[in-house]
This record gives sequence, structure tokens and C-alpha cells, in this order.
Amino acid sequence: MIKSYKVRRFVTNAFVYILLGGLGLIWISPLVYLVLHSFRDEGLAYVSYLIPQKLSFQNYIDLFTVTKESSMNFPRWFMNTFIVAIFSCIISTLAVMMVSYAFSRLRFKARKPLINIGMILGMFPGFMTMIAIYYLLKAMGLLEMPLVALIICYSAGAGLGYQISKGFFDTIPRALDEAATIDGATRNQIFWKIILPMSKPILVYTVLTSFIGPWTDFILAKIIVGKDIPNYTVAIGLQMLIDADHVLNNFKKFLAGSVVVAVPITTLFLIMQRYYVEGVTAGGVKG
Amino acid sequence: MKYIDYIQLNPFQKLGYNLKNFFVNLPKNAGKFFKAIGNFFKRFFVGIGKGFAGFFSRFIKGDWATKLSYIIMGFGNIVRGQVVKGLLFLATEVLFILYMIGFGWDKIYNLGFFNNGTIGFNEEGYGINPVTGRPGRIEGDDSMKLLLYGVMTLVIIAIFIVIYVANTKSAYKAQQTKAAGEKLPGFLDELKEFFDSKFHVTLLAFPTLTISIFTILPLLFMILIAFTNYDHSHIGKLFSWVGFETFGKVFTNTGAASMGKTFVELVKWTLIWAVLATVLNYILGMVVALMINKKGIKLKALWRTLFVVTVAVPQFVSLLLMSQMLDVNGGAINVLLHNVLHWTPGYIDFLGGDPWVARVTVIVVNIWVGIPYTILITSGILMNIPADLYESATIDGAGPVKSFFKITLPYMLFVTTPYLITSFVGNINNFNVIYLLTSNLQNSNDLYQAGYTDLLVTWLFKLTMNSQDYNFAAAIGILVFIVCATVSLITFNLTKSAKNEEEFS
Amino acid sequence: MKKLIALLLAVLMVASVLAACGGNNNANNNSGDNGGKTTENSDPFYGEDNISLLVWAPDNAVSLTKQLCEDFIAKYPNKKITIDVQAQGEADAAAQMLNDLDKAADVFGFVCNNINKLQQGNALAPVVADYLEDVKSRNTEFAVSTGTLTVDGKEQLLAYPETGENGYYLVYDKQYVTDDDAKSLEGILAACQKAGKKCLINIDNGFYGCMPLYTGGMVNNGLKEDGTQIFNDYDKEKVLDSLEAFAKLFHEYKDTFMSADPARIGSGMAENPSTVAAGIDGSWNAATVAKTLGDNYGAAKLPTIKINGTDTQIIGMNGAKLIGVNSRSKFPEAAQVLANYLTSEEVQTTRLEELNWLPSNKNAQQNDIVKNSPALSALLAQSEFSIPQINIAETFWTPVGTLGSKLFKEDDYSRATLEKEFDKALANILDE
Repeated sequence: MIKSYKVRRFVTNAFVYILLGGLGLIWISPLVYLVLHSFRDEGLAYVSYLIPQKLSFQNYIDLFTVTKESSMNFPRWFMNTFIVAIFSCIISTLAVMMVSYAFSRLRFKARKPLINIGMILGMFPGFMTMIAIYYLLKAMGLLEMPLVALIICYSAGAGLGYQISKGFFDTIPRALDEAATIDGATRNQIFWKIILPMSKPILVYTVLTSFIGPWTDFILAKIIVGKDIPNYTVAIGLQMLIDADHVLNNFKKFLAGSVVVAVPITTLFLIMQRYYVEGVTAGGVKG
Repeated sequence: MKYIDYIQLNPFQKLGYNLKNFFVNLPKNAGKFFKAIGNFFKRFFVGIGKGFAGFFSRFIKGDWATKLSYIIMGFGNIVRGQVVKGLLFLATEVLFILYMIGFGWDKIYNLGFFNNGTIGFNEEGYGINPVTGRPGRIEGDDSMKLLLYGVMTLVIIAIFIVIYVANTKSAYKAQQTKAAGEKLPGFLDELKEFFDSKFHVTLLAFPTLTISIFTILPLLFMILIAFTNYDHSHIGKLFSWVGFETFGKVFTNTGAASMGKTFVELVKWTLIWAVLATVLNYILGMVVALMINKKGIKLKALWRTLFVVTVAVPQFVSLLLMSQMLDVNGGAINVLLHNVLHWTPGYIDFLGGDPWVARVTVIVVNIWVGIPYTILITSGILMNIPADLYESATIDGAGPVKSFFKITLPYMLFVTTPYLITSFVGNINNFNVIYLLTSNLQNSNDLYQAGYTDLLVTWLFKLTMNSQDYNFAAAIGILVFIVCATVSLITFNLTKSAKNEEEFS
Repeated sequence: MKKLIALLLAVLMVASVLAACGGNNNANNNSGDNGGKTTENSDPFYGEDNISLLVWAPDNAVSLTKQLCEDFIAKYPNKKITIDVQAQGEADAAAQMLNDLDKAADVFGFVCNNINKLQQGNALAPVVADYLEDVKSRNTEFAVSTGTLTVDGKEQLLAYPETGENGYYLVYDKQYVTDDDAKSLEGILAACQKAGKKCLINIDNGFYGCMPLYTGGMVNNGLKEDGTQIFNDYDKEKVLDSLEAFAKLFHEYKDTFMSADPARIGSGMAENPSTVAAGIDGSWNAATVAKTLGDNYGAAKLPTIKINGTDTQIIGMNGAKLIGVNSRSKFPEAAQVLANYLTSEEVQTTRLEELNWLPSNKNAQQNDIVKNSPALSALLAQSEFSIPQINIAETFWTPVGTLGSKLFKEDDYSRATLEKEFDKALANILDE
């Protein structure tokens, strides 16, 4: 009896290992393909075989040294994105925390209507307003400062993403607030000194998502920055490298650039993964 | 059943209980849903009515200083010693009047009330400048700009009315406090309140401001655009109000590639897609998560990382790569299937060929994109399922498949309903997968500016960027909103009975 | 005082005469302004100074255009001029212009098929009278015709011709496809099949997909007032014959023929071993492909195709690149002067030398470089068998591309099916 149980467990485990291995291979192979071909030395844009014939660092070298001011400047795009990401990350995190704290811990007359308005606004497709945002920024004269405009765009609506962190705050016992109030703390102090320090997972989650946003947006940024290539972010810069005019000579640089963008984000994500999971499970899912 | 009884049930029984309630209460809930909508409007108008009633009664009961505040804002406060507050009210009034005279009125005037519904009066053009006698630009009106400023002015007027009413309240309150012989709070005292009892105002002020400017204002603007004729033939020209004509065209089904036909086709596919994408990602993701977390499986972190890495790579990179690999002319996957494994007779046109092949392909790729998220989210909860549930199931002779459907799935469904709703709405709006994989590959002569794999949102995008039919794009946006709102409202109302957000307060 | 009034009157008179010529009905005559600037004929800028202009040029021409603009600035030492050059592909320039004219370039290169779109969006300032005759006489008739539109019943030259040819040509690898093979599509496909290489024509893109239609005798006959296409002069049976011939050939050489982005021609030829042996490629890729193939570089006009037993020359689409002036330019005079300069004989010759762009200028076209370049001579040879890329409705491209894709994708390419697809495409083009 015991033996057959062991055998059965061994067989099922082996089966699971094989399945996981196969699936893992499928999941990771496009990324392996990306990394492998970013080192491809031969050929122009496309090749019709899987493994490159010759590997070299040439694509990466080109990526960082070919910086014609007019058309391609990857180091600058990287810096632009980094600056935009840092600022919009700080502003959006603050906004999200403030809104979700107010909606979760404070009680006031306009609370329910505001929560409902927030939910309603979230149900309109984001692309609907891109043209209007463009004209709004133009009327404000912000298109002359594309990076500032981008920071505003990425962080202005951030407060609407309150649901997950509100869910998280809801799980912190109210008794804490009450005790602090009895000790004479104002709500301002409760927010900064008690709630925020307890919210590390959700804080990290918010920081992470808002930091990654600017690296991946390739629609709004293109509309706002337009032709101003030195002020591109990496996403639209890389996108440009594979449009019809550029793809023949720049596809390999696109692959290399994608790796350069993906590596730091992936590393960051893997390090912070634990918080991400804690934040999202605590806030987004509850019984 | 009391709440205390309810929480003692096992998850399975909880689900049964909820399901029973769901069907028993379905008629009642549906009724409630419509009643709630009715109530909302009722309360809205009653609220406005009450506001007005208060507004007039304060005027009648107020003394001369309060009455004067109805004309000179802040007067009541200044007279009674709240100088800073009063001056702020006064400054608001002055600024508002200056704004309206210098800018605002003109924009309202241009909104089409006096020009047969055309926004603006003079068309922009190019011609002979009468002063220099040389050809050049002849300045005209820009409907887009005028409409934007017009909406902005309307918003500013609305905000001003709110402040104005607050001013009358404040003046009357000051009068009452004085009459009762109490001391009026100073400006600093009132400021301090913003860090305690009115802390929500402080917290929400900044986000509300930015959201109003960069989300609500553009949204109002685009909603209005849906009621104009601002399509590709009105670029660089003035456009006019047309009422519901745009919506009428969206539902009209005549001609080769009518909008009506396209709309119906895309709505069908959008719903199929959203259901399949949500359900498949959810179930398959959970299966993989269960396998990773299975007792006796080693290197859990490695397995998880293998899947989760794809979340961190920007989608425009991974999906563009995918479309490259799926290419019919020697993409990596075709090379693998045909040249290496010899499974297929020739190269398969995954994305550009038969619409259903392409549709299946995008769903499969979406599984690749979506499963890691499910793994991330469900891993922790799966661990929380009481082990004895499984053990008793095993003793009863249930295999892994059976126990998944009998235990895991009901438990998870119960716990993760909010996540499912968000991911369903997210999939209705899932732009990246569809657009980056099939951008124009499925375009058809049977559809207007769309292809067979397009969702409503990608159609909206194409209408905006490719054909500059802004009014149609806006109308589609409103329709998408209606679909999403209905779905979430119904599910939200149905699940609401099971949990109470306010229970802790 | 009298002098001032006299001056004012003179200005007004000139203005009214010119206004009458321009046929513009928008100009609201608010005279009584203080005279403005006096006009001196010696100053091509008509008094504009502190000029700042934005120029759009395609990526590979940006540095050259910058150089040219510096030369331009140097020509006018007593004016303060700054010019900024941004990269913008010519095919997409019109859409970018119309997205926002205020932020768009003052002077920009575009492909002539977009001229209707730009005109309908009031985006173009026509060539001013000062240069009109010169521009018309120094450029080829074809190039001028691509920049000319009938507006309000009057022919107007709306932009300056920049290049003579923006079409496509046949490129082949001489190792596998002989010059003789290259004469007919059948020959090319057979040669490619023998060598086990691909032959690439991007038939599911409207720009190339129009070939079967044009070869069957269709022509874009102009646009109606609301911008919809007019086709009034074709024999449907002949068009169907042509569609059938193409479809049959594509199916016969299913494994050899390939429809994809023309960039893959260059890519495939650069692979080791190469995968593509021939294709119909755009002139803008010519330099890269020529470098890749070296001595094996073959270029020719489009081949023939057998329709009902007779070899018929394939007819393609061609056009010119134009340089336009933004109607909302803050410096309309300077923009015109610059556009005129950027399309002058001297500049076109420089472009020919540096970028291999075929000039539209009659004299520059006689340059030896043109005769010695296989791609350029191929383009010139093809221009005889091409439909100019003008008067094409916005609704033309997608349906034609889709129709093209049916020719090789659908297994059923019977005449009846083709007719059905053709009718559908036609209805979409005509926006019915």
C-alpha cells in the first residue's frame, strides 16, 4: 500500500515536472529568441532561421554610439524615460495613497458619490480621450515641453487607480485609528505615521506599476511628443526603429534596445515580486 | 441566515448558498438594479431642489450683510471679522467676472448657439492678405479649440456656482454664530481643520483637480464630439452639432462596408473574446499555479520566475516579437512546425489568413500573456484552501480533475470575483494583444475601417488615427462604456449581498 | 500725410487686384490699418525677418537637408534665419500635417498621392506667382502634373516638385534570374522556383495591389467634389482577365511567390544563403539592396504577364515627391523662398549625387548619374507604363490591398469569386 502510493506520487510528480518544463520552455522561448537575435551579427532585418550564425556585441554598440541628433539617440531616450518614470512615479504614488486612504478610512458626505464617479470614469476606454488631451496640452502650451507633458499625463489620472490600495487599506483594523485618535493624533498624523508605514506591500506595488508605465506606453507618448525625436521615450523610439522607413537597417538595434529596456524592468520586478503579489492579493481580491 | 452562521460554512457551502440566493433573488435584484438607477436620478434632482430651497431661505432669513453677500461675495464674512476668508471669496468673484468678460463669454457665444449649430464663425483659410497684398494665412476659427474652451468655460462656471453657494452658506453661518454670541473661528483655525476633521478635502483636492482637468474635461469634450459631424471630411474646417446622427450611422446597415454591420460583428467578437480570454486565462493559470505549488515539486521559485518574467517585459516588445514569430513567411514558429518538426504541410498564415485561425491565435497568445498574472494572484490564495477538504475528497475517491472542479474552482470563484470582473472589463478593452498582433492584417472589405480580430477599442483607435473619424470614435467609446458599465453594475450588484464593505466601521 | 494716403491706396489697389486673381472669397477687407510694410521687389521675403522655419524631411535625408538649409541661410547674410529640420517619412507626412497644422512643419516633403487630402484639409499654400512660371518650366511635365489640382474650377500648382519618380521597380539577383527571365513575371517566378528562392511582391498593400487593376485597364479618373473616387473608363471583363491571370500565377508558384513588406527583399537577399531572388521594391530601398548584391544587382522596369495568351506589360503606380508649404506658416514668404530653393536644379543635383533621388528638374535629369544607375533608369523606363499617383481617394488603399490579398490567399480563385471580390472592393472604394 505504502509502496504503491510512493510510486504513484513519483509518477504524478514526474508528469508535473515534464508538463512544467514544456510549458516553461514555451513561455520563455520568445524571450530567449529576443536575446539571442539581439546579438545576431549577420543579415539585415529578418532571417529565416532560428539560431543566429554569428554573435557579436555590434548591435548594442550601435545602439549606444549611433546618436544622430535627428533620428536616433537611444541613450537620451533612456534618460528621458527614466526622468519621466521617476517623477510620474512619485506623483502618482502620492495621489493613489491619498485618494485610497480618504476613501477607505475617512467618512464624509461626498465619499460614496466620489467613489461611484471614480468607477464610472474608469469604464470609458482610455483611447477615447487621447485627441482631447492632445489639444488640451496644446492649449496650455505644454507641448513645447514634451517631458513635462508626459509626466502630467501619466500622473494626472493616477488617483483613479485607487481600488486596489483602497482594498488593502480596508483590511487594516479600524481599531488602530481609533486608538490613535484617543491619543490625540490628527488624521493627518494617522495617515503619515501609522497607515503608510504599515502599507509597504501596496506602496511597493503602486511604485512599481507607475514606474513601469512610461517604459511601456507607446500610444499616448507618440501623440504628445510627435516629431520631436530627441524627446522620445524608449517605447516610441524603439517603435520608430521598426516602422517602414527604418526597419531594414534598424531591426537588430530594435532587438538590442528591447533587451536593454527589458532587463532592468524584469530585474526590478523579480526583486519586488513578493510585494506585488501581497499588494494585489490583499487589495484586489477579498472574500 | 445570520452572518455568524454564514461565515461558519465551508467555502463550498458558501458558494451554494450564494448561488441559491442569486437565482432566488434574480427578479428582485433586477428590479433593484433599475430602481437604483431611478433612485439615483431622484436623489440627484431632489438634492438640487433642496440646495436651491436652502439657497433662497438663507437669503430671506439673512440680515443685510448676508443679503449683500449674494451680490458681493465674501461680504458677510468680512463684516463679521473673517477677513481672509471673505477676501478669498471676493477674489474668486472678481477673477470669475474678469475671466467671463475677457474670455469665457466669447467661447460660449461661439459654441454654435448663434450660428445654426456650427461651432465658430469664420473658416480658416489661405488667401490674399488685404494689408500686405501678399498671399498668406487668413486666421479663422478652430471648432476643436472653441469647443474645448467652451467646455472648459462651462466647467469653470459650474465650479464658480459651487463656490458661490458655499459663500452664501458661509455668510449665513457667520451670521448665526454671531447671533448665538459664539466666537467665529479664525482663518488659521479653519485651516487646521483641513488636517483633521476635513482631512479628506486636503487629501482629495489635488487628485480631484488633476483628474478634473485631464480626465473629466477631455471626456466631456469627447462625449460632446460624438454629437457633432467632426469626421475625416471636416479636418481643418468648421464642424457642427448633429444630435444623434452619428449614433444613427453607427447602427445603420447599408452599403458594402457599413458601420452597422461592422459594429454588430465587432460586438459579437468582443464579447466572445472577453469571455474566452478571461475564463481560459483564469482556469489554465490556476492549473499551472497548482502544479507549481504541488507538494513535492522542487524549485518552485524557478518555475514561477520562468512564467512571471513575461509580465515584466514590455508588451510592445514581446507582442511584436510574437507577431514576427507567427509570420507566414518563415516566422520562427512556422519554421519550427514545418521545417524542423514536419508537423504541418506548409507555412500557416496564423494572423493574416482565415479570420477564425487568427482569432484562435490571438486567444492563444493572450493565454501566453495572461497566465502569469493569474499565477501571481492566485498562488497565495490557493495555499489557503484547507488541506482537509482535498483529503476528504481523495478518500471519497475524487481524482485531481474532479477535486479541481469540485473544490478548487468554487473556492477560488468565491474569493476572486472582484478580480474576475476587473479582468473581464480589462479584456473588453485589451488593446495591446489585438493591435500589436494583427494591426491591419485582418482588414476586410466587409467591414468599415476594421478587421475581423478587432475589438471595439481597437476599432476606436483605428477610427481616430487611420481615418480621423473623431465623432464615430467618440460614439464607439460611449457604447463601450455602456457595455462595461452594464456588465459591472449587474455583477457588482449581485455579489454585493455576500459582502459588506462597511462591516468594519 | 498725402504720401501716406497715396501709399495706402496703392497697396489697397494691388491687394484688390491680387484678391480678384486669387479668387478668394474669405478675405474680409478691413482696411484702414496703418499701411503695414511696404513691398520691395528686391526682397524675396517681403520684409519678413527674424525668420524661423521648421522643415520635415525623411530620415535618410535629414543631414543633407540640414546642410542645404545652412547654404540657404548663408545666401541671405542680412536676414536672421533659423531653420530646424526634423525627420518625417514622406508617406506619412500628410497625416501628420493634418493632425495639427499649427505644430506641423512650414516646409515639408510628401508623396503626391496625398495632395488631395492636404488640399481638402486646407493645409497647402499654393506656389506663389513669383516662382510659378519658373517652377512649371524647369520641371518635367509629369512632375508638375502631380502637384497640380483643380480647385474651385481653376488649376493650381499646390506644391514644388522635388523628385521625378517615387515608384517601384523590379529588382533581381543576377545569380539566379537572368536579364531575359526578368522580362516576364512567368520567367522570374520560374527562375526563382528553380533556384529555390522567393519572389516578393507586396500585393496585399494597395500601393502594389493596384497593379492587377491597372494592368487590366483601370485608371483613377479623378475625384468628385466630396472626395470620392471616379472610375468611368474601364472594361470590367478585361480587369477580371487581369485579376485571373495574376491569381493563377500566384497559385501556380505558391511556394515561390510571397507577399510581404518590401523591406524583406533586402533582408532576404542579405541572408546567407539568400532567400529572396527577385521582387518589386520601392526606390527608397534601392541603395541598400544595390550594396548588398554588388555586381549581381539587377534592376528593370516591371515585367510582363501573360493575359489570355498575350504578354501584357504590368502597369504600376508612380508619382513624384513634392515639397509643400504649410498654409498656416508664420513666415509664408520665407517658406516659399525656401521651398523654391530646396527644389532648384542645383539642390536636386546634390540630392541625386548624395541620395540617388531622381530629379524632377529637366536639366538635372540629364545627369550621367541617372544614366549609369540601374535603379534610376529602371524607374524612368517604368514611368511610361505607370498611372500617376494623383486623384486617388483616401478610400482606395485598403480595399485594393484586401483585393490583392484575395488573389493569392483564397484557394478559390474562380472568375465568379474574383468578380464578387472585385465588386466588393469597388463598392468600398466608391464609399457606397
